[in-house]
Amino acid sequence: MSTQLDVSGVVEARKSREETLATTAGAGRQAWVPATLLAVLVALPAVQVFDGFNYVLHLGLYALMYIAMSSSWNILGGYTGYISLGHNVFFCIGGYFSGMILAYTGISTLITAPFAGLVASLVGFGIGFITLRMRGPTFIISSIALLMVARILFDNWNFVGGANGVTLPQLTIDVQWAKIPYYYAMLFIAAAAVYCSFRIKHSKFGLHLRAISQDEVKAESAGINTRFYKMLAFAISAFFVGMAGAVWGEYITYIRPSIFLIILIAANMVLMSILGGKGTVAGPIVGTVLLIAFNEFFVATLGSSEINIFATGLVMIVALLYFPNGIVGTLAQKKKLPRFLDWD
Amino acid sequence: MLEVRGLCKHFGGIRAVDECSFSVEKGSITALIGPNGAGKTTAFNCISKSMWPTAGEVWLEGTRIDTLPAHQVTRRGLSRTFQITRNLEDLSVLENLVVQSKISGFRALFGPAISSAERDKAMGILEFLGITRLAHEEARSLSYGQKKLMDFGALLMSDPKIILLDEPASGVNPRLLDEIIAHIRALNEKGLTVFIVEHNMNLVMALSHKVVVMAHGQVIAEGSPGEVQSDPEVLSAYLGVSKKAAVEAAAQTASGALDG
Ligand SMILES: Nc1ncnc2c1ncn2[C@@H]1O[C@H](COP(=O)(O)OP(=O)(O)O)[C@@H](O)[C@H]1O
Ligand SMILES: [Mg+2]
Repeated sequence: MSTQLDVSGVVEARKSREETLATTAGAGRQAWVPATLLAVLVALPAVQVFDGFNYVLHLGLYALMYIAMSSSWNILGGYTGYISLGHNVFFCIGGYFSGMILAYTGISTLITAPFAGLVASLVGFGIGFITLRMRGPTFIISSIALLMVARILFDNWNFVGGANGVTLPQLTIDVQWAKIPYYYAMLFIAAAAVYCSFRIKHSKFGLHLRAISQDEVKAESAGINTRFYKMLAFAISAFFVGMAGAVWGEYITYIRPSIFLIILIAANMVLMSILGGKGTVAGPIVGTVLLIAFNEFFVATLGSSEINIFATGLVMIVALLYFPNGIVGTLAQKKKLPRFLDWD
Repeated sequence: MLEVRGLCKHFGGIRAVDECSFSVEKGSITALIGPNGAGKTTAFNCISKSMWPTAGEVWLEGTRIDTLPAHQVTRRGLSRTFQITRNLEDLSVLENLVVQSKISGFRALFGPAISSAERDKAMGILEFLGITRLAHEEARSLSYGQKKLMDFGALLMSDPKIILLDEPASGVNPRLLDEIIAHIRALNEKGLTVFIVEHNMNLVMALSHKVVVMAHGQVIAEGSPGEVQSDPEVLSAYLGVSKKAAVEAAAQTASGALDG
């Protein structure tokens, strides 16, 4: 049977116009911006030749970790529309998986991190199987519940040290250079997460995830296996968070539930994505940099009391009043996005 | 082509669809009519698996489909539109269409969102519907009628063998309605089977080869437009709703008899 329509003549005519449209759509994209940024970040550790820049490296590493995690979170929360407030469970799983291997065998987490990511993915796939049946607020609550269950589990799991956790051995290199391997590991994870996020956004998979975030009944009736796609998105979204957790554990030299399983970490991922613009590629990066910058600024000016958290929260609220879809999202919608942020 | 046997859907105590059996012939335009609340939309939902039926069987070309999830029903060639249009608001019209196209495999999933073949096909459909210029608009910025057309176009993207249309004419201006009718006819002539829920009696009588009448969740009549119009049970079902509808139905019977 043929439901195909014979309009080839018209299609030909339209095609040339279409092509101009397609090229102009891609022309806004600024590939040199992420490339330059990456080059700068690769070169950054060179400052350590002069010693005394450990804090700069630490801050860079910390920001890269959150770029990886918020970009990763964005695949589920932004593209698919499932807000997870328990995503640090995968941070914890990654940290503990690689951390325990390091504690028992001495193999650095820098080597086992990809496997930690895979384990986090598998767990994510399984958890998604259950929790992705819920939608909207119910799903958010289920993700918080997951975090609480994980906390109780790890607090009482003696094999992994219970609430006290486990202390991890450090790399035996000079303090001056000690941060650099972890810095590069985080840079690699962040770059991979952002690239993956970009590729997904422009793939059929990404289109289908966006359809799911809009209307799941419609997406399913369009022929999309919504259940499987959501689980796959969940698994991918857990992967980079798990990897980041693995490296972070060795970097801070111990793994402990009160480090990994606090809601602040998940909240950071969410806030960074939302502030920058969830569902955009550049958004989580912009959000991470801004949130960390605000925080540093207020700690420097107001001291590291509760007040700095309060001030950061206030800035966040004001920003979202003016940029309801996040900075990148809102600017793009108003067609005022500066070209250097147009990565999508 | 499509066969429904003993289909039931209960919402608590409400029997929205109650032991319905009917069939849709290959290549036909079949209409499902009935007063508001008769269970037509619910029946559509159960057939397309947007809802799971309480009981009963649905067969599509010799395969049982009521046991499958909705996306597999679509992949087997049964596509539907929604009575209250459901669109993917943040996606462009083009994306709304392409979302429905069949993907060839796991690798295509990570290929480009819109392949050039799909783009051509989607643009061809938009051309057929006369809304090419809307291709790059966001779905949210469309008017109601345009959304209905887009929905209809998206349906064609999945290369369906049978389409289920839930009140395609409601809320649509008369000129657009004529267009939609012409589109349905054109597609049917190419061999597409059409199953349609419609309130507009003129449209139903003019378009369909066969009419299935539902009331209170049950099928009360099934036959050619002429047969159904003179069926006393059908008249009383409409009578039960309002006098005006009954008078209209009777008037249409008369005009239908004259036409036919
Ligand atoms: N999701 C639902 N939950 C409860 N009752 C419903 C639901 N959907 C439909 N119904 C009920 O089922 C009956 C049939 O509705 P529907 O199939 O929409 O009728 P129609 O499309 O023929 O106008 C109505 O009484 C309606 O109230
Ligand atoms: Mg209805």
